[in-house]
Amino acid sequence: MRAFLTIILCAVSVALAAQTGAPLITSQDLLDGLKDPTRWLTYGGDYSSTRHSPLTQITPENVNQLTAQWTFQTGTTGSFQTTPLVVDGVLYVTGYNNNAWAVDARSGRQIWRYRREIPEDWKGCCGAVNRGFGVLGDRLYMTTIDAHLVALDMRTGGVLFDAELIDYKAGYSATVAPLVVKDKVIVGVAGAEYGIRGFIDAYDAQTGKRAWRFYTVAKPGEPGGNTWPRGDAYLRGGGSIWVTGSYDPQQNLVFYGTGNPGPDYYSGAREGDNLYTASLVALNADTGELAWHYQFTPHDVHDWDSTQVPVLADLTIGGQLRKVLMFANRNGFFYVLDRVTGKVILAKPFVETTWAKEIGADGRPVMLPGHLPDEDGEKTCPDLGGGTNFFSPSFNPTTRLFYVTARETCATYYGYEQTFKQGQQYTGGATTRPRDQKNFGALRALDPVTAQLKWEFRYTLGTTSSSGVLSTASGLVFAGDGEGNILAFDGRTGKNLWHYQLGVPIRSTAGTTYMVDGRQYLLVPSGSALTAFALPQRP
Amino acid sequence: MTRIAFLFLAVSALLQAQETPAKNPAANNPHLGNPQSIRSGMALYRTRCADCHGLDAGGYRGPDLTAVLAGGATDERLFGTIRKGVPGTEMPPMNDDPDDDILMIIAYLRKIGTVPPSDRPAGNVDNGARLFTAQCANCHRVAGKGGRIGPDLTRVGTSRSRSALVREIRTPNEWIPPAFETVSLVTKDGQRVRGIKKNEDVFSIQVMDTRERIQGYLKSNLQELVYEKTSLMPAFPAGRLNDSDLNDLVGYLGTLRGADLTVK
Repeated sequence: MRAFLTIILCAVSVALAAQTGAPLITSQDLLDGLKDPTRWLTYGGDYSSTRHSPLTQITPENVNQLTAQWTFQTGTTGSFQTTPLVVDGVLYVTGYNNNAWAVDARSGRQIWRYRREIPEDWKGCCGAVNRGFGVLGDRLYMTTIDAHLVALDMRTGGVLFDAELIDYKAGYSATVAPLVVKDKVIVGVAGAEYGIRGFIDAYDAQTGKRAWRFYTVAKPGEPGGNTWPRGDAYLRGGGSIWVTGSYDPQQNLVFYGTGNPGPDYYSGAREGDNLYTASLVALNADTGELAWHYQFTPHDVHDWDSTQVPVLADLTIGGQLRKVLMFANRNGFFYVLDRVTGKVILAKPFVETTWAKEIGADGRPVMLPGHLPDEDGEKTCPDLGGGTNFFSPSFNPTTRLFYVTARETCATYYGYEQTFKQGQQYTGGATTRPRDQKNFGALRALDPVTAQLKWEFRYTLGTTSSSGVLSTASGLVFAGDGEGNILAFDGRTGKNLWHYQLGVPIRSTAGTTYMVDGRQYLLVPSGSALTAFALPQRP
Repeated sequence: MTRIAFLFLAVSALLQAQETPAKNPAANNPHLGNPQSIRSGMALYRTRCADCHGLDAGGYRGPDLTAVLAGGATDERLFGTIRKGVPGTEMPPMNDDPDDDILMIIAYLRKIGTVPPSDRPAGNVDNGARLFTAQCANCHRVAGKGGRIGPDLTRVGTSRSRSALVREIRTPNEWIPPAFETVSLVTKDGQRVRGIKKNEDVFSIQVMDTRERIQGYLKSNLQELVYEKTSLMPAFPAGRLNDSDLNDLVGYLGTLRGADLTVK
């Protein structure tokens, strides 16, 4: 009897080993990006972060028939800022307060839930948000608000490893969706409002051990360190990483936008350019070595994190095919960089900007006077929320249009000296909205070769949008307004073709799209709910 | 400038307010020893806790609370655990309940919970571990290793009494944990799937199949769906696992009290 059982058990073991031994998602799958239409495997859709899907079932002609199929309510507080991943008919979603779920993509029903307690003494400037999972093999990777990286079992949500990035008590947190490159999981930390020194880390996907670290704030004596005052100001220099970077496999470089210097508004605490804050850094994916950097806003005093999404493409400019990196910056300028050399190809404002006349031939902004915050306040456009922000843009390589949620805003900025105390906010100032200011938001389509505005769709006067953008190969663009609508547009003309009131404005993402059982779904996170749309099924 | 000073003061006040951690209400529990509160606590305990922890708090599917109390758990810790639940286990948070409800439950537990536990883990733990690897690990995970079709047992030593473990090994069909009930289905295109039900509504069912694939199915796409009465967990009667081995196995399971998955 026992021998018989043993045979059965052995047979079961072999079957299980065969199944569980094979990784679900390989490095090659990640390189292939959106080629398999049933998947969405990384924050930006693929390594280029274009958020442009090859799917064509939903078209400008039939998009007005899109119908809600299901809604998943998390039952938690806080707003989604996440990009759900899609693998084999299952959605993997991170949410507010260290929560995550696996959800059936067909029905919106929960399969498992992960929850991690937040320490009672954790503090953060901007809510316990999370921007999504990374995936490799049968593992999901998630940063936690208390600055850890956890690996979860895709099938159960069980924890496989728990790596501390750094002690959260020193003001650090983590919200970024990990970028998985080969066998490494790349993440960063937030907390520039709490006097941190930011960094980008890579961890071994199997063991969770740290492979490399790149500090986004250079130490005096090291390259870039002469852009900080002598002493220890660099230790509170900011440079958060809270939006996922992009990856160029040919160069083996990852590209990350870095956050504002700290303290945010008080210039006197940190004379100099403050490298590598408010910059784009290109790092070797294996070693973390800096290949090049470009600083968008030297010595930023307006809290303009450059933590927007770097979008990679190959563009013909002046008759030459150039490897470029497109970047709509919080400081109000749209940049096209050569992603091999880091040199500026083009930089033009895409919203009203009052602080710089232009970006000079040397790549530095030509500053206009009167925009250094002091105790009396100074008015600058855009406001601290910026011309755009962390919400993802999209790029359609066929129409060659760059779609971005733009904000037309101004603020009065105040700056004053503040004594640093660990665990307390360290911003050195504040902002107010000028009484006569009428903010508004718009979805804008830019020609990246000229930065010319091709079309815009203006949202309601008085509110701005924090929604990201998604485009599809059928010529559609999806984005959200500041009032809770998800809207579909003709990507060529900007004509509004469809909308649906979600009840809560979209933050960060405009959603993802994927195929299951031959149907194309549009999945939109807003508030603490996910809503899936599809065309009606024919009987 | 005045506005700045005002802003700054407001921010400072806010920061100070954030700085003071909320005091644990159990630090000063007015219900301790109050007969009326203890009666209310008993009523609350029976409706909210007894299903898992047993009517006598001696543990059923959930831990033996008399052992927890005898082990020196403070009222503050009890309050925190009841309020927040325990992530990764079946213990839910009591998010929306007033502090007083939880404090009355604690007052009740303090009244009854002074008896030391009678069934401490015993047996040959090494032999239990060997038995576990041979007989259980294909389906159950411990510290990230093993199968996934059965419940993760990484901290089963803290969440099951010894008698509950014995019952679940000898007669697993007596109670099947939620998210582990057996189903088999046939899709309209003839695909046969057997596994455990993770979730279900009128229109769809979510399953982990015996190859550990998680997948949802629309019921309109199924030609057959059978809810099996028995667990995928085989029963281990005395003829298959003698009392001595069972004792060793349970002894080993009692040592599973969570894993430190922190990367050093």
